[in-house]
Amino acid sequence: MYWGGNPAECHPRHFTKYTIMQKSKFLPRGRKDRTMVLVDIRETKSVKASDIFLQVRPGKDFELITILRALIKDQPVGDDQIAETGLTREVLEDLVKRMKAAKFGCMFFGMGLSMTRGKHMNSAALLTLAAEMNAYTKFVAMPMRGHGNVTGADVMMRWQTGYPFGITFNRGYPRYNPGEFSTVDVLVRGDCDAAFIIGADPGGTMPQPAIDHLKRIPTIVLDPHVTHTSKLARVHITTASQGIAAPGTAYRMDEIPMPLKPALKSPYPTDEDVVRRINAAISRKPFWLPEGSQPQMLTAQV
Amino acid sequence: MSLQVIDNATCTFCGCVCDDIQLHHDEFKIHKAKKACVLGTAWFLNHTAERKYPDALIDGKEATLDEAIEAAAEFLHEADMPLVYGMSNTTCEAQRECAALADQLGGLLDSHTSL
Repeated sequence: MYWGGNPAECHPRHFTKYTIMQKSKFLPRGRKDRTMVLVDIRETKSVKASDIFLQVRPGKDFELITILRALIKDQPVGDDQIAETGLTREVLEDLVKRMKAAKFGCMFFGMGLSMTRGKHMNSAALLTLAAEMNAYTKFVAMPMRGHGNVTGADVMMRWQTGYPFGITFNRGYPRYNPGEFSTVDVLVRGDCDAAFIIGADPGGTMPQPAIDHLKRIPTIVLDPHVTHTSKLARVHITTASQGIAAPGTAYRMDEIPMPLKPALKSPYPTDEDVVRRINAAISRKPFWLPEGSQPQMLTAQV
Repeated sequence: MSLQVIDNATCTFCGCVCDDIQLHHDEFKIHKAKKACVLGTAWFLNHTAERKYPDALIDGKEATLDEAIEAAAEFLHEADMPLVYGMSNTTCEAQRECAALADQLGGLLDSHTSL
């Protein structure tokens, strides 16, 4: 099941390499042994690849997931509640039957689910649906990650701090609170007084109040290109692009680490090198807490 | 001149991170990316080893790498609540250094995931 994503255009090899086309020991006929369901608000190019397409009314994903959670447990659902999602009882009952009959179900959710009305509550609802389906059959859910190594960032932060994102070290130890420490909120409120941006272009993607704050404070950008963010930054450093000119590791969206095989030699230094040198330059300056109150540092493990 | 070939190269354009790409390249650019999708082909072919941009910019003016590193360290050290953000289009090794940076600064650490 793909929910709120368009893999045919955004992850073109997802079908053939990972999900519906591969032949395997238990699914020897590949595509013919699988059912693909697509849930989206409009007909995208991915519809052609799917067996069942459910066109949900925009902003009604949470309602639809909640109805499905009720239907799998045979709880009563009102007709008007189903009508609100833009779908019919017949279609949903057929879907529930297929989900329960499946040997192994996998849900992939994209930004159409996680970035629209309801946001992380939608993702949480879908994960709950997948968890509850395990009372009947094996089901898993996984987000469709957009940028190259964003999964690696989650893994790396979990390893180093115990939390996946939205972290602060302002008490000397990591604390996690999305909404308080997540970037958009921090910028829109104008909380931070310097920004270090690496491998991202918030100047092209974030809401205007956040961009305005990046303009007000000293912003430092590390990127292979001069980006929108570089143009409003005080400092821009050009670095080698990962996987093309910079070696290292990148995580696939299912958290499998892959070694990179750079083909070119860049005239620019790697991100790793530059950040390490900035770290070294900062460690030569006095520590931000008063003398004698240094907390124990997390040391990078090799 | 014949092209060098790299088998099973890894593409980091999207979250699929396909690791079966065959790259045909010389010293300056990648000429062919076999098995890559449209997005991956554009990703590999559009990056070259040319010096397209200045090493660094400080307030829009060209600067050396050393000056830029010193300026970045100064800005971050001066700040009371610095933010370290992004880390999507970079390697895990660089991400680890970023975690150390935020830790050392007593700052915020966040990625695209929170967007």
